[in-house]
Order: sequence, then C-alpha cells, then structure tokens
Amino acid sequence: MTAPDRAAMVRGPGPVGARLVVLLLLLTAGVWSAVTLDLDLRGLWPGRDGWQLAADFFGRALTPALSHEGVDIPPGAPPLLVSALHAAMRTVIFAAAAMLPSVVLGLLLGFGGSTAWWASARARGRRGSVSAGARLRSTAGPAISSVCRLVSALLRSVHELLWAVLFLAAFGITPLAALVAIALPYAGTLAKVFAEMIDEAPRPAAGALREAGATPAAVFCFGLLPGALPDMTAYTLYRFECALRSAAVLGFFGFPTLGYHIAASFENLYYGEVWTYLYVLVILVVAVDWWSGQVRRRLVT
Amino acid sequence: MSARSATIDRLYGARPRSRFLRVSAWLAAGLVVASWLGGGFLRDPIWTARRAANLQRFLAEVAPYPLQGRPFDWSEASVWAGDIWRDHLGQATAATLAISVVAILLAGLLASLFAVWAARNVSRPDPFLAGPRAEPRVRRWPWTAVVVLARVVLTLLRSIPEYVWAFLLLALFGPTAWPLVLALALHNAGILGKLSADMIENLEGPTLAALRGAGASRGQIVLGGVVPLSLNRFLLYLFYRWETCVREATVLGMLGMVSLGFWIQDARARNHYDEMVLAMACGALLVVIGDLVSALAREVVRRA
Repeated sequence: MTAPDRAAMVRGPGPVGARLVVLLLLLTAGVWSAVTLDLDLRGLWPGRDGWQLAADFFGRALTPALSHEGVDIPPGAPPLLVSALHAAMRTVIFAAAAMLPSVVLGLLLGFGGSTAWWASARARGRRGSVSAGARLRSTAGPAISSVCRLVSALLRSVHELLWAVLFLAAFGITPLAALVAIALPYAGTLAKVFAEMIDEAPRPAAGALREAGATPAAVFCFGLLPGALPDMTAYTLYRFECALRSAAVLGFFGFPTLGYHIAASFENLYYGEVWTYLYVLVILVVAVDWWSGQVRRRLVT
Repeated sequence: MSARSATIDRLYGARPRSRFLRVSAWLAAGLVVASWLGGGFLRDPIWTARRAANLQRFLAEVAPYPLQGRPFDWSEASVWAGDIWRDHLGQATAATLAISVVAILLAGLLASLFAVWAARNVSRPDPFLAGPRAEPRVRRWPWTAVVVLARVVLTLLRSIPEYVWAFLLLALFGPTAWPLVLALALHNAGILGKLSADMIENLEGPTLAALRGAGASRGQIVLGGVVPLSLNRFLLYLFYRWETCVREATVLGMLGMVSLGFWIQDARARNHYDEMVLAMACGALLVVIGDLVSALAREVVRRA
C-alpha cells in the first residue's frame, strides 16, 4: 500500500460522487458500445462446426506436437522443435534489435519532453547567474518540451502493425522496415513514460545540487536521473516483453517469427504444432517477465 | 581533504552491488549487439532504384484520388474525405471505439474474478490472518493449487498476443465483432488480473485481518474490504489498458472483421493508398482522443 492510499484511508472515503460517476459512465459507454456493435449473446454460441473446431483445437492444448504433423514433409525440412527454436530466436532477434533505436529515440524525446529538465534550467536563470544559455533554455524550454511530447504522441498513435503496413506499401518488404515499424511507436511510448518518471522522481537531491551551484546538466544527471533510472530500466524490460509479442505477430505479415508458423500450422489444421509454437512464445514471455521482476526487485528496493 | 575523500571512499566501497544486475546488464547489451550483427537487418541495400520508384509511386498515390496529379486543395480534399467518412469510415470508427469499450469492461470483469483467487492473501484457509506457516499443510495445499491454477491461466492469457487470439477465435466464431472483443478481453484480462492480484497481495493486512477478526467471511472481506481499498488503483489500470485496447481494436480488423483495420486492409488490397492512409488517420485520431479521455478519467479517479 502506497502513501496516497494510506492518506486516503486516514481521510476516510472521499465523496462517493466522482468514482460513482466514472463507473456509471463506463457502464453507459458499455451499453452504447454493445448497441453500436449489434452484439448478440447468441453469437457466443458457436455453431456445430465451431464446437468441432474448438474440441479439436483445445483438445491438443495438453499434447502439443513434438514432431511435424503433416504427412508429406519436404525433404531437408528441420524437425519441428528445431524450427520452433529457430522461430523463437528470430523473434528474440527482432525484439532485441528493435529495442536499441526505441530506447535511444525514447530517451531523447523523453528528456526533451520532461518538464523537470527545463524547470531546473529556469530556476537557475532566475537565481541571477543569467548566462545567455540559461536564458535561452528558460524561454525555449517549454516550446521544445511541447514539440517532443507532440512527436512522441504522433509516433505512438499509430500501431506498430500499421507502421509495418505503411512501410510495406512504401518500400516493399525488408526486415529493416519491420524493425523500424516496431521501433517508432515503442520510442513514442518509452518517451512518454520516461518523461513522466523523470518528472515524478524525488526532487530534494536536485534542489540541493542546484543550491550548491551545479549546472543544469549536472542537476539533471546526478540529481534527477538516478531517482528515475530504476523505474525506467524496469519499464524498458517490460517493453522488451511487449516487443517479443509484437515481433511474434509480425510473422503474420511474412516475417519468419513465431506468428508466421502459428498462422501456417493453424491453416493446415496442425493444431498440435500451433500449441507448440504458442507454448514457445509463452516461455519466452514468462522468462523475460521473470528476468525483469528479478531486476526490478534488486533495483527498486 | 583527505578525511573527506576517505568518507567518500568508504561510501563508495559500501555502495549496493549486485552480481545479478551486472550480469543482466552485460546480457542485455550482448543480446542487442548480437541481434544487430546476426539479424541481417543491414544486409539488404537500404536504397535501391526499385525502392525509390516504389516510394515515388506510393507518394503520388497517397494524395486524395480526385487531386492526384494536381496541386493540393483543402476544400476538395475535405469533400473527398467527407464522402468516405459518411460511406463507411464513420461507422468503422464508432465500431472500433465500441469494440475497445466492451472488451475492456469484459476484461475487467474476468480479471476481478481471477484476481481474487490468484491473490495469496485471499486464497488460503484463513484469509488475511497470521503467517502462511501457521496453517497445517493439509489445509494449505488445495488453496495453493487454486493460486497456481489461477496464475497459470492468467499467464497464458497474457502471453498470447491479441492478434493471435483474434486469429484463433475468428475461426471459432466467424466474422462477427465477438472474436475481436474476446481477443482483446482475454489478453487484457491476463494483464489486469495479474496486476490486480499483486495489488491485492500488497493491501495492508491489519485492516483486512480486523474484518476477519470481526467474523466476516471470505466473500464479505472481499466485497467490504478488498474492493473498496483497491477500486481506485484497479480503475487506473483499467483506463491504462483501455488506451492500448483502442490501438489494438483498429489493427485486429485487418483479419477481416468490423473496425477500421478492415478498411485499411481493403484499401491496401486495392492499392488505394489514399483511402488506406485516411483510415489510419481516423485510427490515430481515435487513439489521441482516447488517450485524452483516459488521462482525464484517471485524474478524476486519482482525486476521488
């Protein structure tokens, strides 16, 4: 339980109003949505074919395939488990490679978009040591910060698969295009969250450094950043987990990641193989989740 | 001076160090470098004559159809966009929004059902009381099984991406809105469920133990203690996930069902890049508006 929660308990519950209004609005939105979509609960009852498919598909959940299910396997095709490992490797390569440009661009836009960085420049400008640089920062700061926030909002308002579709149409299919497609919206998301984390980092250290006459850059690097860095690292690892899923889904567009094999096996009705690939993806995600949990535990406490 | 540097040296020597973190950092760096070296991303030439021609054709066709080959004119472009909006994009945008809303509500419902059973302080013989070792093992293991089962289900739901869920469910339910709604709901239920279960485990014990001491049953503690204490945080998570639902609802339509993605795929198949980009712009606008609404709602909840 965090401090605000405890404060809320001491205060006692606030007026019921706001929370109730939010809940009621949510319900109203839900009713409007169901009407708009013409949702019919009978649609949740699959037809006979649907039930047969469900039984066939979920029936294999506990017995994933360990070798190819097809009858005519092309000569020279690698065994299923080798092919699954290979697809997993391609998925990890896509995700890890995409994180590099995402983090670099995300850090640039995040620093630029954080108000704390510009505030530290302004405070120094007010304190009298008005170098030309400080004055420039104090006036240009808000503008640059808005531009950075706008750019990162634009980047993340388009989904990575839509970036991929756009690049496919404009350049043709290349792994680099797919990589950039993942990197752009991820940079936008990282930038937003980094900026928030920097702005919410504890300020006393920064204030002390500023009083001691440190330059704005030093205040930022040694006063603000260390407080935000653990959270930023943990969040970056979480985005890596998301990148694994995005990379897997890119397979549906022809890249040789896990999604490619999931789609191919499902269309061939080799449900056991589908489960094999699904479980490989689950293992990847769980492994990264465990890793990020361990890192977070050691960093944050 | 020397005394001060000795202090600093001592502080430096006593700084927290973790071999795990150091190995992790090297591992992460190695993974990224190896991926760039081994991934072959830079093997193909980035700029070829064919790509340049492709790009030029694309840029020519992105201009609204009535204006292609002519200077851009806002009034004509807006008439063109208005016609398409009235024809199908308006309806598709509304459907995209509706899918995201139904999906997140369903996800919230599923998540709260699972979270209670996945929380170790609720799922035990004597909820919220004493240390876990205080209870005899025979009474403990059924509850441990419940926790493990709930967490395994949540992990499976969460690890499989929405797009894959939608792909699988489409075959099951046919081309209605349900596969999209359920795909988003299942994946997000996994995420929300795990977050909520962890949140419940971190609730302050004494308050809930007091309810137990006053004779409240497990269900009564959940309804009277856990829900009021965690509702605000839960709503924050819900709105955060709703933002991603809006994004994904657009994309999932590309599998061939109602939502903006259907028209993006349709325009792409016909090489009508002007309409494709217009549909993408509708989606982007919806995402921006959704983010604003969500930020507003989260602010209201935070103050409540």
